Amino acid sequence: MLPSVPANLPLPPHPVAPAAVVLEVSGVTKHYGARRVLDAVSFRVYAGQRVALTGPSGSGKTTLLNCLGGIDRPDEGSLNLNGLRIDQLDSNALARLRREQVGTVFQFFHLLPTLTAAENVDLPLQLLGVSPDERHARVTTLLKRVGLEARAGALPSQLSGGEQQRIAIARALIHRPALILADEPTGNLDSASGENILRLLRELTDETHTALVLVTHSEEAAAICHERVHLRDGRIVT
Amino acid sequence: MKAAPRVVSLLLRRFALRHARLEPKRTALLCGILALGVAVFISVRLANRAAVASFTHFTDTLTGQSDWIIQPAAGTLPETVLPELRAALIGNPVVIIPVVETTASRPPRAGETAAFGRTTFTLLGVDLISMANLARQQTGGKSFFAEQTSTSTSTARGPDPSASFWTNFRAGPQLWISAAFAAELGNARTLTLVVNDMTHVLPIVGTIPALPDAPQAPASLILLDLPHLQQLAGKVGRIDRVEFVVESGPRADERREVLRGLLATLGRDGERWLVTSSGAKRESAETMTRAFRLNLTVLSLIALLVGLYLIFQALDGAVVRRRGEIAILRSLGVEETSIRRAWLAEAALLGLVGGACGILLGWGGAQFSVRAVGQTVNALYYATTVATAAPGSVDVGIGLALGLFASLVAGWWPAREAARTPPAQVLVRHASAAPGPAVLRHAWLGLGLVGLGIVAAQLPPLRFEGGSRFPLAGYGAAFLWIFGGGILAGFLLPRLAWLGRRWRNRFATVRIALSHVAAPSGRHRLAVAALLCAIGMTAGMAILVASFEGTVQGWVRRSLQADLYVSSNGAQSASSQNRIAPATWRALAAHPAVEAASVLSAYPLMLDGASTTLTGTGLALVRDREDLPWVQPPVDDTIFDPARNAGLVLASESFSERFRKNRGDTIQVPTPSGTQRMTLAGIYADYGNERGSLLVEREHLVKWVADDQAASISLYLKPGADADALRAELLARHPGLAIYTNAALRSEILRIFRQTFSITYALEVIGVIVAVIGLALTQISVLLDRRDELTTLRALGFTRTEIARVAAIEGSIVATCGVMGGLVVSLALGWLLIHVINKQSFGWTLGFSLPWAQLAALGVTVIATGAVVSYVVGRWGANLPADHEE
Repeated sequence: MLPSVPANLPLPPHPVAPAAVVLEVSGVTKHYGARRVLDAVSFRVYAGQRVALTGPSGSGKTTLLNCLGGIDRPDEGSLNLNGLRIDQLDSNALARLRREQVGTVFQFFHLLPTLTAAENVDLPLQLLGVSPDERHARVTTLLKRVGLEARAGALPSQLSGGEQQRIAIARALIHRPALILADEPTGNLDSASGENILRLLRELTDETHTALVLVTHSEEAAAICHERVHLRDGRIVT
Repeated sequence: MKAAPRVVSLLLRRFALRHARLEPKRTALLCGILALGVAVFISVRLANRAAVASFTHFTDTLTGQSDWIIQPAAGTLPETVLPELRAALIGNPVVIIPVVETTASRPPRAGETAAFGRTTFTLLGVDLISMANLARQQTGGKSFFAEQTSTSTSTARGPDPSASFWTNFRAGPQLWISAAFAAELGNARTLTLVVNDMTHVLPIVGTIPALPDAPQAPASLILLDLPHLQQLAGKVGRIDRVEFVVESGPRADERREVLRGLLATLGRDGERWLVTSSGAKRESAETMTRAFRLNLTVLSLIALLVGLYLIFQALDGAVVRRRGEIAILRSLGVEETSIRRAWLAEAALLGLVGGACGILLGWGGAQFSVRAVGQTVNALYYATTVATAAPGSVDVGIGLALGLFASLVAGWWPAREAARTPPAQVLVRHASAAPGPAVLRHAWLGLGLVGLGIVAAQLPPLRFEGGSRFPLAGYGAAFLWIFGGGILAGFLLPRLAWLGRRWRNRFATVRIALSHVAAPSGRHRLAVAALLCAIGMTAGMAILVASFEGTVQGWVRRSLQADLYVSSNGAQSASSQNRIAPATWRALAAHPAVEAASVLSAYPLMLDGASTTLTGTGLALVRDREDLPWVQPPVDDTIFDPARNAGLVLASESFSERFRKNRGDTIQVPTPSGTQRMTLAGIYADYGNERGSLLVEREHLVKWVADDQAASISLYLKPGADADALRAELLARHPGLAIYTNAALRSEILRIFRQTFSITYALEVIGVIVAVIGLALTQISVLLDRRDELTTLRALGFTRTEIARVAAIEGSIVATCGVMGGLVVSLALGWLLIHVINKQSFGWTLGFSLPWAQLAALGVTVIATGAVVSYVVGRWGANLPADHEE
């Protein structure tokens, strides 16, 4: 178990802003039927920057996250990830983009229940065709980094919620993506485990210089981010 | 907790029926599947009943129904019994009706290639004057023949419409046909018929009148005056039976019983003739075909079983789809029992609607199947005139009950799963997949069922009156092995996953797919069990057919050694009575190109209340020329010596099984010349019919039955003789004969064999299609159940193609397990079908042949189709939309 460290330590100044833009969201609008769930949303995320997406339920946070991950498409506006127009890619190109440049952390972990912890972490590398030796080395290193090398052979059902989320974070980072999308990563955890996860996310994104978009209701979670984007009724209000 | 009917009703109205309305195609499909299963059962039931009900004792159409019938156990009665009977019955108010009955067919049309299968007509010869008098008594009116001449129908027919009945009557053989046949013929005034070995052009002089209380004359019945038919059929001085009608009046029942006693005494209690009734004949027909009808019923239930499986899969899928809705209802306080009952009620509604549609569909289907069943009954058992079948209230009840039962059985487990859905607060999106039926996870249960099947396979068949048998325990063993095997085959899934471990590290898709089957869900196991069932039955049937065909080919090769085979061209079915006249067969045998001729006589025989066949031929020639396949060979050559074989008989294997007789046993054979006490000298294999036959030296049989006509004759030609040329020459001389060369007869036998089994190929295709549809439905349920995993895979960067590949690999592993298990079970089922079910039903010994290529093709087809279908389902799953919570 990792030592419990407060997640809301003073933030260092943003490392590279405004030089390297990883993600540019410009005028994104989305409707479900007649209901407008996103209304001309625009913001930027820089390499190594952590951005919190906050707002009440129904404000459009998850829809925006799905658009950022290429799971959903905006009706209007553009989404640019490292120079690629996400909103214009076809299904296969989107899958390739997620495989190479995006890591995802879910509220309910979404580990594959039939794979062991190590296999879950290994999966993105396997998709990328990384050699078995390198995969093994990187998985071992990262499992050690998240403090779960001893649980490598355990199935998700044999892990606690905090352990599952640490495995999910390792899986999101193993292929060194440019952007991590995290949807309420502490929403299903007790406070101690939640703090550990936030600390881990902060440390790992700092170490790897990875951008993070974090959807959250939690002030503690928002506090680890350099910037906050607050949504209400599909619009950015701050 | 007790479920409130109000809540169940609310759930049914607000949810189940709304879902049905919102998904009309799915609802229609489920009803259709169920309706099809019920329809097959109903149509076979109606066809069976119609075939039995249509058993026609043809004289009934003239007499209403005779009180008693006397007939010899085999052969014919001499006409001299008539004065004897009249003398004995003087003073008794009894009408005596001597009857001659034979069969005929129309000659083949130009260009007609099939040798067999033309309509068989029954020619009934009665004393028309007596019949006219009887009709007058019954109707209280005029003779129907007198009425005939005044009808417009009859005036349009006959050689001389203006002549009186009596003028026509004296003119020679002439025909009265049924109204149905008359309508079919139109204005034809003559009919060409092949009777025995002669072709006759006979005048049609009228239609058979309808009498009160008598059944309508079937289309295939043709009436002639007795002496004319005796002449045509080569039965001059002989009659087939005598029927008696006791005049109505006070104490008629008592007089009937007295008459029966008198007839039995005169018949020396069966030695001269048997006393029977048309009702008893109908019962005998029912008994004779009971095993055949039961076998058909079992086969028809397979369709329902298949439908039940598909409905189960569909309802299971519905539970997965509607889990969120159920969870909310549970959160709102709806009890488990209410949920379960509402789902069962939904299944019941589906069953009732499907059952009702099935009855209508079955009624329609019966109009077709009734002819097929009728043709088979006609070919194998007796002449039947079945044409239509209508459902009664019992059939409607059975159809609805069957639909209800099937849907409740199929819906039970999904209802249980639905009820177990936790409330929404507990049901989280990553909730693990439903485990599936627990019963499939117990290897001991599978082993137990297989063991029980082994015990059941050793049990004897059910035996019915009349000697027919039904292998109930054999069918039970088949079901036990299929279900036991289905449970055990599920345990192959982790083994196959282990075998594929080498590729786990190479391909992410393989890793995901193998991880699913390494810990298979109940749905995976169920899909394997269903595939095993389909493959097992399909391949088992293929093994039976291959074994049967191999055996029949060997039998044909060994038994058919003559160069030419001759029979009457009128012989078109098992009920055919067409013969070759002595002068004709003698002329054939005496042809200069013929070296030897084997003449065969055959007569229906009633033995211990069951019908069989008594045949006679030159046994020495059989020994010298044919290679009779012995089951129990004679111990010495006495049976082949006409001087010493008068008390000896050979029996076919079916006869031996049916009458439980073995070599050395005594058989009392009733003949018109008295009962012959025979010793069974040997048993031979014969695949001609399931009723079996006795074979004796023909020269003895001719004396016993006082009939020298032949059923067929085999000609062995002198070296160098041209069989085709001789055939053409003989056909030109005897146009009423059917003559086959050795090769043509062999090929005709195999053609008929393959035609008989053609339905099994259709069943094979249906089996595979259903299994693959079942696999697809399973995959759909599994993917719906793993929707969160699909979301994860997509988030991780899996393309839709890769997700589809995962499903394809998973599906092909499931299909491989089903195929492997199915092929193993098929070997057991093949053995069971050949050595137990076939042996007990028909008494035939078959060699075991494995159609390797066919089985391999079946396996590869199912695995490949399973993979393709799973791929398609996988693509569908990959396209499921993302959740839209916000």
